[in-house]
Amino acid sequence: MGEAGIKIRCLRFDPETDAEPRFQEYEVPRADGDMSVHDCLEYIRNNLDPSLAYFINCRHGFCQRCHIRVNGKVVLACETMADGDMTLEPVNADRIIRDLWCEST
Amino acid sequence: MVGSEGAGGPTTVFAARAGADVLIASKGKISKCGASQMAGADFNLDGESALEIGLPGDGRDSPRRFFEDLVREGFYLGNQKIVEKYVEYAAKNTADLLEWGMPVYRFEQVHAEEMARGLISSGVKWVRAIRRQVKEMNIPILEDTMVVDLLTREGRVIGAMALDLKTGEIVLIKAKAVVLCTGGWQQAYHFSTASTDLTGDGQAMAYRAGAELLGMEMVQYAPMTMLWPPIARKSIIPYILCETEAGPLIQLLNSDGERFMERYDPSTMEQGTKEIVAIGTELEVEAGRGSPHGGAFFALKHLTPDGVDFIAGKYREFLDENSDKRSEFRTLLPYLLERSKIEDLEVGNAAHFMAGGIKVNELTETTILGLYAAGECSGGLLGSVRVASACTQVSAQGRIAGEVAPTYMREVGHLEPDLSQLEEIYGRIMRPLESGDGVPPLDLLRRVHSLTAECLKVIKGGEGLRKAQRELAGMRKDEAPRLHVSASGTRRLNYEWELSLELPKMLLCLEMYSLGCLMREESRGVHYRGDFPQTDNDRWCVNIVYSNRGGEAETSFEEPVVTTLRPPTGKTSFNQAVESATASLKRRGVE
Repeated sequence: MGEAGIKIRCLRFDPETDAEPRFQEYEVPRADGDMSVHDCLEYIRNNLDPSLAYFINCRHGFCQRCHIRVNGKVVLACETMADGDMTLEPVNADRIIRDLWCEST
Repeated sequence: MVGSEGAGGPTTVFAARAGADVLIASKGKISKCGASQMAGADFNLDGESALEIGLPGDGRDSPRRFFEDLVREGFYLGNQKIVEKYVEYAAKNTADLLEWGMPVYRFEQVHAEEMARGLISSGVKWVRAIRRQVKEMNIPILEDTMVVDLLTREGRVIGAMALDLKTGEIVLIKAKAVVLCTGGWQQAYHFSTASTDLTGDGQAMAYRAGAELLGMEMVQYAPMTMLWPPIARKSIIPYILCETEAGPLIQLLNSDGERFMERYDPSTMEQGTKEIVAIGTELEVEAGRGSPHGGAFFALKHLTPDGVDFIAGKYREFLDENSDKRSEFRTLLPYLLERSKIEDLEVGNAAHFMAGGIKVNELTETTILGLYAAGECSGGLLGSVRVASACTQVSAQGRIAGEVAPTYMREVGHLEPDLSQLEEIYGRIMRPLESGDGVPPLDLLRRVHSLTAECLKVIKGGEGLRKAQRELAGMRKDEAPRLHVSASGTRRLNYEWELSLELPKMLLCLEMYSLGCLMREESRGVHYRGDFPQTDNDRWCVNIVYSNRGGEAETSFEEPVVTTLRPPTGKTSFNQAVESATASLKRRGVE
């Protein structure tokens, strides 16, 4: 854990209270083993910011509901390796319910 | 209908066929939530019945033989009337699923039985087949909607109150009957295999509404669940690999590099009964010989890279043959096999399956009118082990509930909800969002998990269980009522709010679990007491029943319901008891 953590820019947006989306930065410490994008999101919610909304259910690709944009590319958060700094956005920015969770989730 | 998957889906299909007006409330989206999607999946039925529906069954097998194996493997605590129904509906249910388009990969010994007695399919294809039926019948579904509590009046269940997680709206559902198919309470444990939605909702709601629970002390732990690296955490891939032809090649090592199962089960080693592998793993960790993250090493290095590639190739062939695209097998498994060439993976014991739950009879009726329970949230079928296929349990009981509930619904009318009860539940739902402060739900969850990690593992002892009882009661009384969101007061997709409503349910299930484990001064099936390692048929061939008496748990004992098979008497060592319970199972010897 000595080395620098993973820097994550996360899109935050609550259509009820925010005029427009913004990005929030978090730093997640690297584990001594491969982590998924999910693992990072879980770390943020459990340790840094419980208000972050994202989807998680089965953790291993069965439910296929955790689609997310990692550096612009749509992937499943549970099976995608978090191997460097990244920007996380919802799949469909026009239909956000809150943060990373959109209608098509 | 609360729940939409392996049990809930068939319930609604059969209830709608019987003319009932059905509504599903599901915590997630149909075919994309719960435990069923993650199943292997295997389904049991006896050979004779298999032949009748055109499957390659073994003619030596019969419903009677299947029944006897189930009762014996459950260490005689199962309700034999329910087991008889299970055997009957296992065959009917398989025919349903084939008709609904669930593919059969293989017909084989799915639980190491003496003869082929079941079929292998995929959990994802199973729940999609169910979804097609539910959609074809136009059954309405409230998705991403968490049922918070049941409504009761005049001793009957008359509806439910729910929270729409996306909008934050509170939903009032009036119903003549409610069927619970909500799965287990795995999320209460620090390490588990289940999806995030399994938080004991059904068990807790039924208990609060006055229904009895049974066998809550019977929780199965899956050894060989991925502990490390994090990306693979909670996957049961190593456990599944152990069940395949590759099984005998697998070695479990401690930090000294020893194959420690030599100490606990030298004849079958890693291939032994899962309960004994879990106990062995935990004893090694306690002795200071565990892996860095508190488990054992799952080793394949001795096979050389070519050997590992061979396993990977075999698995790929199997998936290709069956056009199976599941990501856990297509992506995670090859990744882990590749890693295993250079380092040993870490695996541990995870809370996996609840053999007890809401007490039901063979018709899935609970002990209060208008309430039914099917699948993992119910208790009574399995006794003290998850015997045979859980997929078959959930589908069989789902179909039974779907056939039985409509008859009751025709006999009764709707009752108007009791206003004071609505206000009480509504107040409880809204309290975590009110102004002021309180206990942050994630803090409490962390403390619950450190308690399960310390006192509620595979091997239990009186001292730890008494500590768990004290602390859980304190959390229930002093902290659960003060749960409060700390970060955001939004009503939409507010995880802290959802957790504030789930935590009291998890606490309730854990309290029943630790109470039952403390009372049961013996070891039986999945229940293991380090301080009472014998299986004691003279004193403990009974079920523990839990009920709610003014907010405090009251327990009583019930002899198992016997139709034809008398339970044994006498005391035996745990290993001997396991040996006789599983005598008919074929276990591979050591190579």
